[in-house]
Amino acid sequence: MHSVNSILALFYRELKISYRNFSDILSILMFFLLGILIFVFSIGPNTEMFNEIGIGVIWTLILLSNNLSLRKFYQNDFNDGSIILLHMSGLSYELIVLIKIMIIWIFLQLPFFIIIPLAAILLNIELPNVNLILISFLIGSPILTSIASISGSMNLLNQRNFAIGSVIIMILSIPIIIFSVGIINASEEIVRAQLKILIGILFFFLAVTPWVSAACIKLAIQNK
Amino acid sequence: MLLANNISFYRNNNIIFKDVSLALPPQKIINITGANGIGKTTLLKILTHVLIPKKGDIFWNGKNIKKNLFNYYKDVTFVMDKQTSNINLSVIENIFFWKKLFSSIISKKEIDAILDLLSLDSYRNTPINYLSNGEIKKLELTRLVIERKKLWMLDEPYIGLDIETINLLNETFINHTKSGGMIIFSSHYVPEIPNIENLQLENYAQR
Repeated sequence: MHSVNSILALFYRELKISYRNFSDILSILMFFLLGILIFVFSIGPNTEMFNEIGIGVIWTLILLSNNLSLRKFYQNDFNDGSIILLHMSGLSYELIVLIKIMIIWIFLQLPFFIIIPLAAILLNIELPNVNLILISFLIGSPILTSIASISGSMNLLNQRNFAIGSVIIMILSIPIIIFSVGIINASEEIVRAQLKILIGILFFFLAVTPWVSAACIKLAIQNK
Repeated sequence: MLLANNISFYRNNNIIFKDVSLALPPQKIINITGANGIGKTTLLKILTHVLIPKKGDIFWNGKNIKKNLFNYYKDVTFVMDKQTSNINLSVIENIFFWKKLFSSIISKKEIDAILDLLSLDSYRNTPINYLSNGEIKKLELTRLVIERKKLWMLDEPYIGLDIETINLLNETFINHTKSGGMIIFSSHYVPEIPNIENLQLENYAQR
Protein backbone atom coordinates (compact mmCIF):
# COMPACT_ATOMS: atom_id res chain seq x y z
CA MET A 1 0.00 0.00 0.00
CA HIS A 2 2.82 2.27 0.93
CA SER A 3 4.61 1.95 -2.40
CA VAL A 4 1.35 2.27 -4.34
CA ASN A 5 0.88 5.64 -2.69
CA SER A 6 4.42 6.65 -3.61
CA ILE A 7 3.92 5.60 -7.22
CA LEU A 8 0.69 7.60 -7.45
CA ALA A 9 2.37 10.61 -5.85
CA LEU A 10 5.24 10.48 -8.33
CA PHE A 11 2.83 10.04 -11.21
CA TYR A 12 0.79 13.02 -10.11
CA ARG A 13 3.87 15.19 -9.65
CA GLU A 14 5.23 14.34 -13.09
CA LEU A 15 1.84 15.08 -14.63
CA LYS A 16 1.77 18.46 -12.98
CA ILE A 17 5.32 19.35 -13.99
CA SER A 18 4.65 18.33 -17.57
CA TYR A 19 1.46 20.36 -17.56
CA ARG A 20 3.33 23.43 -16.28
CA ASN A 21 5.91 23.01 -19.04
CA PHE A 22 3.34 22.59 -21.77
CA SER A 23 5.16 25.08 -23.99
CA ASP A 24 8.02 22.55 -24.25
CA ILE A 25 5.70 20.05 -25.84
CA LEU A 26 4.28 22.67 -28.17
CA SER A 27 7.73 23.69 -29.34
CA ILE A 28 8.69 20.09 -30.04
CA LEU A 29 5.53 19.69 -32.13
CA MET A 30 6.36 22.93 -33.92
CA PHE A 31 9.82 21.61 -34.65
CA PHE A 32 8.30 18.50 -36.17
CA LEU A 33 5.84 20.38 -38.38
CA LEU A 34 8.40 22.95 -39.52
CA GLY A 35 10.82 20.15 -40.36
CA ILE A 36 8.15 18.59 -42.60
CA LEU A 37 7.55 21.98 -44.23
CA ILE A 38 11.26 22.40 -44.90
CA PHE A 39 11.31 18.99 -46.60
CA VAL A 40 8.35 20.04 -48.74
CA PHE A 41 10.07 23.25 -49.78
CA SER A 42 13.43 21.68 -50.45
CA ILE A 43 12.16 18.81 -52.59
CA GLY A 44 9.68 20.82 -54.61
CA PRO A 45 6.15 20.13 -55.92
CA ASN A 46 6.51 16.49 -56.86
CA THR A 47 3.50 14.71 -55.41
CA GLU A 48 4.45 11.23 -56.56
CA MET A 49 7.81 11.47 -54.90
CA PHE A 50 6.24 12.43 -51.61
CA ASN A 51 4.04 9.38 -51.66
CA GLU A 52 7.21 7.32 -51.84
CA ILE A 53 9.46 9.09 -49.39
CA GLY A 54 6.85 10.77 -47.17
CA ILE A 55 6.85 8.07 -44.54
CA GLY A 56 10.62 8.12 -44.29
CA VAL A 57 10.50 11.88 -43.84
CA ILE A 58 7.92 11.62 -41.07
CA TRP A 59 9.87 8.95 -39.21
CA THR A 60 13.15 10.82 -39.53
CA LEU A 61 11.58 13.92 -38.03
CA ILE A 62 9.93 11.94 -35.23
CA LEU A 63 13.39 10.68 -34.37
CA LEU A 64 14.93 14.15 -34.47
CA SER A 65 12.19 15.64 -32.30
CA ASN A 66 12.65 12.74 -29.90
CA ASN A 67 16.22 13.97 -29.40
CA LEU A 68 14.91 17.29 -28.15
CA SER A 69 13.17 15.69 -25.19
CA LEU A 70 16.34 13.94 -24.05
CA ARG A 71 17.28 16.33 -21.26
CA LYS A 72 13.83 16.14 -19.72
CA PHE A 73 14.30 12.63 -18.45
CA TYR A 74 16.40 12.53 -15.30
CA GLN A 75 18.66 15.57 -15.41
CA ASN A 76 16.60 17.87 -13.17
CA ASP A 77 15.77 15.22 -10.60
CA PHE A 78 19.37 14.12 -10.56
CA ASN A 79 20.80 17.62 -10.17
CA ASP A 80 18.61 18.56 -7.22
CA GLY A 81 18.87 15.16 -5.54
CA SER A 82 15.16 14.40 -5.60
CA ILE A 83 15.90 11.09 -7.32
CA ILE A 84 17.61 10.02 -4.07
CA LEU A 85 14.54 11.19 -2.17
CA LEU A 86 12.29 9.10 -4.42
CA HIS A 87 14.53 6.13 -3.83
CA MET A 88 14.44 6.66 -0.08
CA SER A 89 10.65 6.67 -0.14
CA GLY A 90 10.81 3.00 -1.09
CA LEU A 91 10.78 3.10 -4.88
CA SER A 92 13.54 1.23 -6.63
CA TYR A 93 15.38 3.03 -9.40
CA GLU A 94 13.96 0.56 -11.90
CA LEU A 95 10.41 1.52 -10.94
CA ILE A 96 11.24 5.22 -11.15
CA VAL A 97 12.57 4.68 -14.67
CA LEU A 98 9.42 2.83 -15.68
CA ILE A 99 7.15 5.59 -14.37
CA LYS A 100 9.24 8.25 -16.10
CA ILE A 101 9.02 6.39 -19.40
CA MET A 102 5.25 6.19 -19.07
CA ILE A 103 4.87 9.87 -18.29
CA ILE A 104 7.21 11.01 -21.06
CA TRP A 105 5.45 8.75 -23.51
CA ILE A 106 2.05 10.16 -22.58
CA PHE A 107 3.15 13.77 -22.76
CA LEU A 108 5.68 13.79 -25.57
CA GLN A 109 4.62 11.00 -27.90
CA LEU A 110 0.82 10.94 -27.69
CA PRO A 111 0.47 14.48 -29.14
CA PHE A 112 2.14 13.15 -32.28
CA PHE A 113 -0.98 11.11 -33.00
CA ILE A 114 -2.77 14.38 -33.70
CA ILE A 115 0.05 15.98 -35.60
CA ILE A 116 1.09 13.02 -37.80
CA PRO A 117 -2.16 13.02 -39.88
CA LEU A 118 -1.62 16.74 -40.36
CA ALA A 119 1.90 16.10 -41.61
CA ALA A 120 0.55 13.36 -43.85
CA ILE A 121 -1.76 15.89 -45.51
CA LEU A 122 1.20 18.21 -46.09
CA LEU A 123 3.14 15.38 -47.71
CA ASN A 124 0.16 14.12 -49.75
CA ILE A 125 0.29 10.60 -48.32
CA GLU A 126 -2.62 8.29 -49.10
CA LEU A 127 -5.07 7.45 -46.35
CA PRO A 128 -4.35 3.68 -45.98
CA ASN A 129 -0.71 4.54 -45.58
CA VAL A 130 -1.53 7.05 -42.84
CA ASN A 131 -3.18 4.26 -40.90
CA LEU A 132 -0.06 2.17 -41.25
CA ILE A 133 2.12 5.05 -40.06
CA LEU A 134 -0.06 5.49 -36.99
CA ILE A 135 0.09 1.78 -36.17
CA SER A 136 3.85 1.65 -36.58
CA PHE A 137 4.16 4.81 -34.49
CA LEU A 138 2.02 3.31 -31.75
CA ILE A 139 4.46 0.42 -31.48
CA GLY A 140 7.59 2.37 -32.30
CA SER A 141 7.15 5.37 -30.00
CA PRO A 142 7.55 3.50 -26.68
CA ILE A 143 10.77 2.07 -28.11
CA LEU A 144 11.98 5.58 -28.91
CA THR A 145 11.10 6.73 -25.39
CA SER A 146 13.00 3.78 -23.92
CA ILE A 147 16.04 4.59 -26.00
CA ALA A 148 15.83 8.22 -24.94
CA SER A 149 15.66 7.05 -21.33
CA ILE A 150 18.82 4.96 -21.75
CA SER A 151 20.62 7.81 -23.44
CA GLY A 152 19.42 10.35 -20.86
CA SER A 153 20.58 8.23 -17.93
CA MET A 154 23.93 7.56 -19.58
CA ASN A 155 24.61 11.28 -19.85
CA LEU A 156 23.74 12.40 -16.33
CA LEU A 157 27.31 13.27 -15.44
CA ASN A 158 28.10 14.62 -18.87
CA GLN A 159 28.03 18.40 -18.64
CA ARG A 160 29.84 19.30 -21.84
CA ASN A 161 29.27 17.01 -24.79
CA PHE A 162 25.50 17.15 -25.32
CA ALA A 163 25.65 15.79 -28.86
CA ILE A 164 26.78 12.34 -27.73
CA GLY A 165 23.34 11.68 -26.21
CA SER A 166 21.68 12.23 -29.57
CA VAL A 167 24.28 10.05 -31.25
CA ILE A 168 23.39 7.16 -28.92
CA ILE A 169 19.70 7.58 -29.76
CA MET A 170 20.43 7.63 -33.49
CA ILE A 171 22.48 4.44 -33.37
CA LEU A 172 19.99 2.51 -31.29
CA SER A 173 16.97 3.53 -33.34
CA ILE A 174 18.24 2.31 -36.70
CA PRO A 175 16.37 -1.03 -36.45
CA ILE A 176 13.14 0.76 -35.56
CA ILE A 177 13.39 2.99 -38.59
CA ILE A 178 14.10 0.00 -40.83
CA PHE A 179 11.07 -1.97 -39.69
CA SER A 180 8.62 0.94 -39.32
CA VAL A 181 9.31 2.39 -42.74
CA GLY A 182 9.58 -1.06 -44.24
CA ILE A 183 5.96 -1.75 -43.34
CA ILE A 184 4.69 0.67 -45.95
CA ASN A 185 6.64 -0.66 -48.87
CA ALA A 186 6.22 -4.31 -47.96
CA SER A 187 3.67 -6.54 -49.65
CA GLU A 188 0.61 -7.42 -47.63
CA GLU A 189 1.81 -10.81 -46.45
CA ILE A 190 4.97 -9.40 -44.94
CA VAL A 191 3.28 -6.47 -43.17
CA ARG A 192 2.16 -8.64 -40.28
CA ALA A 193 5.55 -10.25 -39.92
CA GLN A 194 7.21 -6.83 -39.89
CA LEU A 195 4.77 -5.58 -37.25
CA LYS A 196 5.53 -8.62 -35.13
CA ILE A 197 9.25 -7.98 -35.34
CA LEU A 198 8.58 -4.39 -34.27
CA ILE A 199 6.51 -5.61 -31.32
CA GLY A 200 9.37 -7.94 -30.45
CA ILE A 201 11.79 -5.02 -30.37
CA LEU A 202 9.31 -3.11 -28.19
CA PHE A 203 9.13 -5.90 -25.62
CA PHE A 204 12.89 -6.27 -25.64
CA PHE A 205 13.41 -2.60 -24.89
CA LEU A 206 10.65 -2.47 -22.27
CA ALA A 207 12.31 -5.39 -20.51
CA VAL A 208 15.85 -4.08 -20.71
CA THR A 209 15.48 -0.32 -20.27
CA PRO A 210 14.58 -0.16 -16.54
CA TRP A 211 17.66 -2.18 -15.60
CA VAL A 212 20.03 -0.37 -17.94
CA SER A 213 18.80 3.10 -16.96
CA ALA A 214 18.75 2.24 -13.26
CA ALA A 215 22.32 0.94 -13.46
CA CYS A 216 23.40 4.16 -15.17
CA ILE A 217 21.63 6.30 -12.55
CA LYS A 218 23.26 4.33 -9.72
CA LEU A 219 26.66 4.75 -11.32
CA ALA A 220 26.08 8.47 -11.75
CA ILE A 221 25.05 8.89 -8.10
CA GLN A 222 28.11 6.96 -6.94
CA ASN A 223 30.47 9.08 -8.98
CA LYS A 224 29.01 12.51 -8.41
CA MET B 1 20.23 2.36 17.21
CA LEU B 2 22.62 3.16 14.39
CA LEU B 3 26.04 1.55 14.36
CA ALA B 4 28.85 2.12 11.90
CA ASN B 5 31.94 -0.05 11.99
CA ASN B 6 35.29 1.05 10.58
CA ILE B 7 34.00 2.83 7.52
CA SER B 8 36.67 3.81 5.01
CA PHE B 9 36.09 5.73 1.84
CA TYR B 10 38.42 6.28 -1.08
CA ARG B 11 37.92 8.49 -4.06
CA ASN B 12 40.29 8.02 -7.01
CA ASN B 13 42.65 6.13 -4.70
CA ASN B 14 42.79 9.09 -2.31
CA ILE B 15 41.75 8.21 1.19
CA ILE B 16 38.97 10.58 2.29
CA PHE B 17 38.66 9.05 5.75
CA LYS B 18 39.59 5.77 7.34
CA ASP B 19 38.07 3.61 10.07
CA VAL B 20 35.26 5.90 11.16
CA SER B 21 33.11 4.20 13.78
CA LEU B 22 30.09 5.65 15.46
CA ALA B 23 27.22 4.57 17.65
CA LEU B 24 24.00 6.50 17.85
CA PRO B 25 21.62 5.30 20.57
CA PRO B 26 18.13 6.81 20.93
CA GLN B 27 17.85 10.30 22.42
CA LYS B 28 21.25 11.28 21.17
CA ILE B 29 22.62 13.77 18.63
CA ILE B 30 25.87 13.54 16.72
CA ASN B 31 27.36 16.63 15.14
CA ILE B 32 29.93 15.92 12.45
CA THR B 33 32.48 18.72 12.33
CA GLY B 34 35.54 19.31 10.23
CA ALA B 35 37.11 21.57 7.67
CA ASN B 36 35.75 21.96 4.14
CA GLY B 37 36.38 18.97 1.93
CA ILE B 38 37.04 16.61 4.81
CA GLY B 39 34.12 14.39 3.86
CA LYS B 40 31.17 15.40 6.05
CA THR B 41 28.65 15.13 3.24
CA THR B 42 30.30 11.94 2.03
CA LEU B 43 29.94 10.37 5.48
CA LEU B 44 26.27 11.29 5.64
CA LYS B 45 25.71 9.88 2.17
CA ILE B 46 27.44 6.67 3.21
CA LEU B 47 25.26 6.40 6.30
CA THR B 48 22.17 6.64 4.06
CA HIS B 49 23.68 4.13 1.62
CA VAL B 50 23.61 6.63 -1.21
CA LEU B 51 27.35 6.11 -1.52
CA ILE B 52 28.82 2.70 -0.80
CA PRO B 53 31.88 2.59 1.47
CA LYS B 54 34.99 0.71 0.39
CA LYS B 55 35.23 -0.97 3.77
CA GLY B 56 33.06 -1.23 6.82
CA ASP B 57 29.43 -1.98 7.61
CA ILE B 58 26.48 -0.02 8.89
CA PHE B 59 23.86 -1.56 11.14
CA TRP B 60 20.38 -0.30 11.95
CA ASN B 61 18.76 -2.04 14.93
CA GLY B 62 21.26 -4.87 14.60
CA LYS B 63 20.66 -5.49 10.89
CA ASN B 64 23.07 -4.68 8.12
CA ILE B 65 21.46 -1.94 6.05
CA LYS B 66 22.79 -3.40 2.80
CA LYS B 67 20.36 -6.30 3.08
CA ASN B 68 17.47 -4.39 4.64
CA LEU B 69 17.72 -1.18 2.70
CA PHE B 70 14.05 -0.33 2.33
CA ASN B 71 13.30 -1.29 5.93
CA TYR B 72 16.07 1.09 6.94
CA TYR B 73 14.74 3.85 4.71
CA LYS B 74 11.39 3.58 6.47
CA ASP B 75 13.10 5.05 9.53
CA VAL B 76 15.33 7.68 7.95
CA THR B 77 14.77 11.24 6.85
CA PHE B 78 17.67 12.68 4.88
CA VAL B 79 17.83 16.44 4.33
CA MET B 80 20.45 16.99 1.70
CA ASP B 81 22.63 20.01 1.04
CA LYS B 82 20.55 20.66 -2.07
CA GLN B 83 16.90 21.56 -2.36
CA THR B 84 14.77 18.64 -3.40
CA SER B 85 11.61 20.68 -3.83
CA ASN B 86 10.66 20.97 -7.48
CA ILE B 87 10.97 24.52 -8.81
CA ASN B 88 7.93 24.17 -11.05
CA LEU B 89 5.58 23.38 -8.18
CA SER B 90 4.29 25.66 -5.46
CA VAL B 91 5.08 25.37 -1.76
CA ILE B 92 1.88 23.56 -0.88
CA GLU B 93 2.12 21.26 -3.91
CA ASN B 94 5.59 20.19 -2.86
CA ILE B 95 4.40 19.54 0.68
CA PHE B 96 1.46 17.46 -0.52
CA PHE B 97 3.77 15.54 -2.82
CA TRP B 98 6.04 14.65 0.11
CA LYS B 99 3.05 13.80 2.27
CA LYS B 100 1.76 11.36 -0.30
CA LEU B 101 5.17 10.04 -1.26
CA PHE B 102 5.95 9.02 2.31
CA SER B 103 2.33 8.08 3.13
CA SER B 104 2.42 10.54 6.00
CA ILE B 105 -0.52 10.85 8.36
CA ILE B 106 0.05 14.56 8.93
CA SER B 107 -3.21 16.52 8.85
CA LYS B 108 -3.99 19.69 6.95
CA LYS B 109 -4.21 21.65 10.19
CA GLU B 110 -0.71 20.59 11.16
CA ILE B 111 0.62 21.61 7.75
CA ASP B 112 -1.02 25.02 8.18
CA ALA B 113 0.55 25.34 11.61
CA ILE B 114 4.01 24.50 10.29
CA LEU B 115 3.74 26.94 7.43
CA ASP B 116 2.56 29.59 9.87
CA LEU B 117 5.43 28.85 12.24
CA LEU B 118 8.02 29.13 9.47
CA SER B 119 6.27 32.24 8.09
CA LEU B 120 5.83 30.56 4.72
CA ASP B 121 2.09 31.02 4.93
CA SER B 122 1.86 33.86 2.45
CA TYR B 123 3.90 31.94 -0.15
CA ARG B 124 1.59 28.92 -0.09
CA ASN B 125 0.81 29.06 -3.80
CA THR B 126 4.07 30.61 -4.98
CA PRO B 127 6.26 28.45 -7.22
CA ILE B 128 9.59 27.57 -5.63
CA ASN B 129 11.68 29.51 -8.13
CA TYR B 130 10.33 32.78 -6.68
CA LEU B 131 11.44 31.93 -3.11
CA SER B 132 14.71 33.00 -1.50
CA ASN B 133 17.42 30.52 -0.48
CA GLY B 134 16.46 30.65 3.18
CA GLU B 135 12.81 30.04 2.43
CA ILE B 136 13.65 27.05 0.25
CA LYS B 137 15.79 25.67 3.08
CA LYS B 138 12.93 26.14 5.52
CA LEU B 139 10.60 24.31 3.18
CA GLU B 140 13.15 21.51 2.96
CA LEU B 141 13.19 21.22 6.76
CA THR B 142 9.42 20.74 6.89
CA ARG B 143 10.15 17.27 5.55
CA LEU B 144 11.45 16.33 9.00
CA VAL B 145 7.98 16.82 10.43
CA ILE B 146 6.09 15.48 7.43
CA GLU B 147 7.98 12.20 7.22
CA ARG B 148 7.89 11.52 10.99
CA LYS B 149 10.77 9.11 11.13
CA LYS B 150 13.10 8.09 13.91
CA LEU B 151 16.48 8.91 12.48
CA TRP B 152 17.13 12.36 11.10
CA MET B 153 20.16 13.07 8.95
CA LEU B 154 20.83 16.63 7.99
CA ASP B 155 23.57 18.10 5.86
CA GLU B 156 24.42 21.64 6.99
CA PRO B 157 20.93 22.40 8.31
CA TYR B 158 21.81 25.85 9.61
CA ILE B 159 22.98 27.37 6.34
CA GLY B 160 20.79 30.23 5.15
CA LEU B 161 18.49 30.26 8.17
CA ASP B 162 17.73 33.31 10.29
CA ILE B 163 18.24 33.27 14.07
CA GLU B 164 14.56 32.70 14.77
CA THR B 165 14.46 29.60 12.60
CA ILE B 166 17.72 28.32 14.06
CA ASN B 167 16.20 28.48 17.52
CA LEU B 168 13.08 26.79 16.24
CA LEU B 169 15.16 24.04 14.65
CA ASN B 170 17.11 23.49 17.86
CA GLU B 171 13.84 23.25 19.77
CA THR B 172 12.58 20.68 17.26
CA PHE B 173 15.80 18.71 17.72
CA ILE B 174 15.35 18.68 21.50
CA ASN B 175 11.73 17.57 21.22
CA HIS B 176 12.67 14.86 18.76
CA THR B 177 15.38 13.42 21.01
CA LYS B 178 13.06 13.58 24.00
CA SER B 179 10.60 11.36 22.20
CA GLY B 180 13.29 8.77 21.47
CA GLY B 181 14.56 10.03 18.14
CA MET B 182 18.11 10.16 16.85
CA ILE B 183 19.80 12.92 14.89
CA ILE B 184 23.02 13.17 12.91
CA PHE B 185 23.96 16.41 11.28
CA SER B 186 27.02 18.08 9.91
CA SER B 187 27.67 21.69 10.75
CA HIS B 188 30.45 24.15 11.46
CA TYR B 189 28.29 25.77 14.08
CA VAL B 190 27.89 23.82 17.32
CA PRO B 191 24.47 24.48 18.83
CA GLU B 192 23.77 24.32 22.53
CA ILE B 193 21.60 21.24 22.77
CA PRO B 194 21.74 18.56 25.49
CA ASN B 195 22.96 15.04 24.59
CA ILE B 196 25.05 16.32 21.71
CA GLU B 197 28.32 14.68 20.79
CA ASN B 198 30.92 16.01 18.38
CA LEU B 199 32.49 13.74 15.84
CA GLN B 200 35.64 15.39 14.55
CA LEU B 201 36.31 14.00 11.14
CA GLU B 202 39.85 15.45 11.16
CA ASN B 203 40.90 12.61 13.44
CA TYR B 204 40.17 10.05 10.74
CA ALA B 205 41.64 11.86 7.77
CA GLN B 206 44.92 10.60 6.38
CA ARG B 207 46.88 13.34 4.84
